Amino acid sequence: MNNPTITTKTDYKTPSPQARKWKKGIRYTITYVLLIALALFMTGPFLWLLSVSLMPGRNVFSNPPAVFPTFINFGNYAQVWNFMNFPKYIMNTVIITVMGVVFNIILSCMTAYPLAVFRFKGRDMVFTLLIATMIIPSSTAMIVHYLTIQWLNLGNTYLGVVLPAAVSVFNIFLMRQTFLTIPTEIRDSGKMDGASELRIWWQLVLPLVKPGIAVIMLLEVMAFWNNFLWPIVVLDDPEKYPLASALTYLNGQFSYNFGWIAAGTIISVIPIIVVFLFTQRYYMEGLAGAVKG
Amino acid sequence: MKKWMRTETFAAWAFMAPGLLIVAVFVLWPIVYGLPLSLTDYSVIGETHYVGVDNYVTAFQDKSFLASLWNSMVYVLIVPIIQIISILMAILVNSRIPLIKAFRAAYYIPVVTSMVAVALMWSWLFSSNGVINYALIQLGIIQEQVGWLSSSSTALYVIMFITMWKGLGYYMMLYLAGLQSIPTDLYEASMIDGASRWQTIYRITIPLLRPHILFCTLISLMGAIRVFDEVFVLTNGKGGPGTATLTSSLYIYQKGLVQFNFGYASALGLIVSVIVGILSILVFRLNKKGGVQTY
Repeated sequence: MNNPTITTKTDYKTPSPQARKWKKGIRYTITYVLLIALALFMTGPFLWLLSVSLMPGRNVFSNPPAVFPTFINFGNYAQVWNFMNFPKYIMNTVIITVMGVVFNIILSCMTAYPLAVFRFKGRDMVFTLLIATMIIPSSTAMIVHYLTIQWLNLGNTYLGVVLPAAVSVFNIFLMRQTFLTIPTEIRDSGKMDGASELRIWWQLVLPLVKPGIAVIMLLEVMAFWNNFLWPIVVLDDPEKYPLASALTYLNGQFSYNFGWIAAGTIISVIPIIVVFLFTQRYYMEGLAGAVKG
Repeated sequence: MKKWMRTETFAAWAFMAPGLLIVAVFVLWPIVYGLPLSLTDYSVIGETHYVGVDNYVTAFQDKSFLASLWNSMVYVLIVPIIQIISILMAILVNSRIPLIKAFRAAYYIPVVTSMVAVALMWSWLFSSNGVINYALIQLGIIQEQVGWLSSSSTALYVIMFITMWKGLGYYMMLYLAGLQSIPTDLYEASMIDGASRWQTIYRITIPLLRPHILFCTLISLMGAIRVFDEVFVLTNGKGGPGTATLTSSLYIYQKGLVQFNFGYASALGLIVSVIVGILSILVFRLNKKGGVQTY
C-alpha cells in the first residue's frame, strides 16, 4: 500500500551549526540561572544570618530589615563567647560527639565482623532480629530509653546521653557490607601464623575497612553534634548541655538579644558545614552506599 | 584456654556481645516493653496498676491527641511535594557542567546543619517584622504584616515549609544516585525516536526511579509523622498557638517526659506506630499498582 505520509530522513530540519550553538547557549544560561536561584534559596538564610550577626545594634526587627552587611563588627561574637559560656558548651559538644563516634565505630565494627566472615550457630537468628528492628516503627522508644537510663542511674551523665545511640543497626549493616569485600585469604593467613581472632581483626582487617569507618564517623559526627532533644531529657544541669541544646535554652533566656543568639547559631553551624565541605566526597559515597545496602 | 573457647561460634558471640547488648537494651527492649507499659498507669507518682485498655479508651477521647493526630496527617502533605521538587532538583543537577558539584554541596548544607539552628533562623525570617513580611509587603502580595508563626491558620504550614526546605538536599542526592544508575542508551534511543524532554522524563526517568521513589516516600512519610525538633524549637515545646502545631510526637513527649505519664504516653506511641505501619503498607501497595505508568 502506498502511504504518502511516510517521509524520508532528509525531510527533517537539521539546524545549522550556528543555530545549534545558540540553542546550547540558551540552555546553559537557563540551567545556570536555575542553579543560582536554587543556591540562593538554600544558602541565603545562612548568609543572611551571618550578615546580621556581624552587625551588632542592627537587628531583624529594624525597618527596613537588615539584609546585607553595611559594616562588620565581631562584637556579638565576643560577647557570646564571654557572657554565654560558649567555650564550655563547645567542650560539652565535643565530649558527647567524640564518645558517640568512638562507641559507634568500635561496636559496629565488632558486631558486623562475625556476621560478615564467621560461620557460627545463631547467625541467621541474629540477622532476622536485626532486620526486624529496622522494620518495626517505634514511637515509644524515647520514653522507654528514659526509664532505662534512670534505672541504670545514668541520669545527668554524658554516658546516659550517648548510650542509647552507641550503636545503630544501620551502622552494623553498613560495616558488614564493607567486611564482605575483604578477601577471606587475609583471615586464613593470619590463622596460619597463629594470630588470635582479636588480633586478626584489629591488625589485619580493620586497616582495610577505613573507608567504611570514615562514613560512619561522618554520619555520627553530624548526628551527635546536632542532637538536642535527648541531651535536654537526660541532663538536668543546663551547664552540661551541648551547643544545640544550649541554643534552645539560651533562646528562651536571651530572646531580647537577637544578635547574641544569631552569633551563637552561626558558631554552632560553622564546624559542621566545614566538616561537610571537606569530606563531602566520602559523605556522598556513603549516602549512595547506604541506599544500596 | 578451654577447647570450646577456641571455636568460631564462641569467637563470634564474643565479638558481637557488646554491640548486641546495646541493641537489645535500646532497640529491642523499647519495642517489646511498649505494649505492657501501655496497659498500666505507670507514672512518677503513686503505685502502678494494670489498667487494661483504659489508656487506649482515654486516648480516643483525648481532644488534644486527636488534634495532634490530625496535624500529623496534614503534615504528610509535604511527602508528595518533597518528591516532586527533589526529583526536579536531581534532574537539574544531573549534568556534567562546570561547578555542578559546588551547587550540589550548597543544596546539601541545610541537611547537615542542626534543626535548632535552621528553625531559629527561619523563625526570625518569618517574624512579624522580619524580612519575609517586609519583602511581601514591598512586592504588594500582602497589605500588612502576617504573624506567620503566631496565627493558627499559618503556623503549621510554615513549619512544614521549614521541614521541606531542610530535607530537599537529602532527597535530591538519593534521587541523583537513582538517575545516575539509569543507562544512558535508553535516553539516546528515545532521542532517536524523537521523544521530547518531558516525554523522556515521564516515560523513562520516572518509571525507572520507582524503587527510589518508594524508598524516599517511606522515609519522608515516617519523618513527617514523627516530626518533632522543628515544632519543639519554634513553639518552645508547646505546639501552639493552641493545638495548631501540636504533632503526635510532641504530644507523646509532653505526656511522657514532661508530665511523666509513662503508661499513657506508651499507649499513644503504639497508636502512632500502628498508623505509621498502615500508611507504609499503603505506600507499598500504591507503588506496586503503579500510580505512574510503566513502559
